[in-house]
Amino acid sequence: MTEETKEPGTPEAPKAAESAPAPAEKPAAPAAPAAAKPAAPPAPKKWEPTGEVVTTPVTERLAATFGDAVAGVKSSCKEATVLVPKARLVEVLQFLRDDADCAMDYLSDMTGAHYPNNDKKFEVVYHLWSMTHKQSLRVKAQLDDGEACPTAIHVWPGADWMEREAHDLLGIVFLGHPNLKVILLPDDFEGHPLRKEFPLGGAQEEMIRANRYGKPVYLPEDLEEAQKIVEERRHGR
Amino acid sequence: MAAEHTGEAFTSPLREVMETKTYELNMGPQHPATHGVYRAILQLDGERVVSMESVLGYLHRGIEKWAEYRTWTQATPIFDRLDYVGAVLNCHGYVGAVEKLLNLEVPKKAQYIRVVLDELQRIANHLLWLGTHALDVGAQSMLFYGIREREAILDLFEAMLGQRLLQNAYPIGGVRFDFPKGWVPVCYRLLEELPKKIDDYETLLTGNRIWVQRTKGVGVISAKDATALSLSGPTLRGSGVNFDVRKAMPYSSYEDFDFEVPLGQNGDVFDRYMCRIREMRQSVRIIRQALDGMPAEGELKGKVGRIIRPPAGEAYYTVEAAKGQLGYYIVSDGAEKPYRLHIKSPSFVNLQGIETMCRGGLIADVVANIGSLDIVLGEVDR
Repeated sequence: MTEETKEPGTPEAPKAAESAPAPAEKPAAPAAPAAAKPAAPPAPKKWEPTGEVVTTPVTERLAATFGDAVAGVKSSCKEATVLVPKARLVEVLQFLRDDADCAMDYLSDMTGAHYPNNDKKFEVVYHLWSMTHKQSLRVKAQLDDGEACPTAIHVWPGADWMEREAHDLLGIVFLGHPNLKVILLPDDFEGHPLRKEFPLGGAQEEMIRANRYGKPVYLPEDLEEAQKIVEERRHGR
Repeated sequence: MAAEHTGEAFTSPLREVMETKTYELNMGPQHPATHGVYRAILQLDGERVVSMESVLGYLHRGIEKWAEYRTWTQATPIFDRLDYVGAVLNCHGYVGAVEKLLNLEVPKKAQYIRVVLDELQRIANHLLWLGTHALDVGAQSMLFYGIREREAILDLFEAMLGQRLLQNAYPIGGVRFDFPKGWVPVCYRLLEELPKKIDDYETLLTGNRIWVQRTKGVGVISAKDATALSLSGPTLRGSGVNFDVRKAMPYSSYEDFDFEVPLGQNGDVFDRYMCRIREMRQSVRIIRQALDGMPAEGELKGKVGRIIRPPAGEAYYTVEAAKGQLGYYIVSDGAEKPYRLHIKSPSFVNLQGIETMCRGGLIADVVANIGSLDIVLGEVDR
């Protein structure tokens, strides 16, 4: 890996000539990528939806009531989406359910997503449906890593297990939830699998996979240590 | 000799000096009536259920995470493993979500073929549900009839898709094949027979006094509670709430077909049973209309590239699966793999209603309630 990044930078003619003193240059190799590193991955791509902001009677009603606090979000497939600040989330959801013009009485789905490259690392997403007006709306709120989200269980009791699931798999804490404990994962499971830094098979399995053709290495108990070893092995090959 | 039942509980004078307390009973994870590995912790006062707690996750396979590591096309077959009794419908949900994100128009003929297969799958699912639910409640012979007719539908799937249970039915953009030669007449013959068979099931159960006693007034959930708990499908419609995704937000040309949405009134086990029975009859109607109105010529697949890269954005697409509203929330960052994929599984959400249904009832009714929800644990735990 280090050699690959270095070689394109060096002119081609000297490369052929220096093929003999290459081992002599090798000790210098760690220094070169260290210097090049800040230049290579400076801007991890932020996730941003494309498309246009969709307005429906419900979003207009929200804009009229809450003003700038509720912002429209772009959608590439014409789905009405609004972004709500975390502090006013429950207030807005309550309004959406109780207001006669919105009447979003059915919580279709609630989940979260992890965007490690964005400024706010987490999003919680509510998909609402109005039985009377036959309209749908997506409500989103953004959270920092470790920031808690207020629970919507008092607005829709159906949010109970959905929030427990998001807590389990993404590690989002829902303040005010009466029974926020594991639901899908084993009781002693460490980590939150749907976060982007979590390897697909978990640290243990990744380790076994990386070692399939190598020397057996016993995993340290500590999850972070284990992940570090896995990463090293993978890039070393 | 048993005493005449007066409706009032017998109170012994000893009750005033004796202390009683509730006790805990573990039902599952290995229990034939839980339809998989589902565990309920019951707090009982004698035979009455005081409270109930569900323990899930025994079948959690991390499908949402797994899909993030496959391309959009490679991820398709895994969703059959969610609700393995209604695999075609799961596949439709995912494929539809990607098509929505791609802004892709599916050809009319492909939409009609999808409707036929979807509704056949719905009937097959309800037949298996009917058999196992009746078995739980004590009517054993129903299972044999249910399985017999389901077998005929699975044969049709095998002839068309090459698989009986996990068919990987649709590619992104349309369908793979037209109906094979001789398939449509066989399907018509099945449609001729099914309503008669459903009449037979009703003769076995609907008017059966034991069945009615075991199901009427059991596991009641009000329309208000059912909506607030986000239940969907026949479980919600049994309480009288008219919400069917096929009518509410029509997809795949469902607006072309004339069918009714069966509704219950009381929200008990019997109404949920009746909803599903009547839904099977409506499915037969829909399949007949779809086969009659099938465009003779036409493309089977829309314009899809070999490498799929949807624009960065998100889509939420729902279909009416056999269990209820099945939703896929997918997020794309413009790459060839899903960035985030969340499945709103109807079984998972419907199972939330079990405590409301069981509280105050008998232990024996817990079994009837779990059966009436029609859960598949592969979908609950994902």
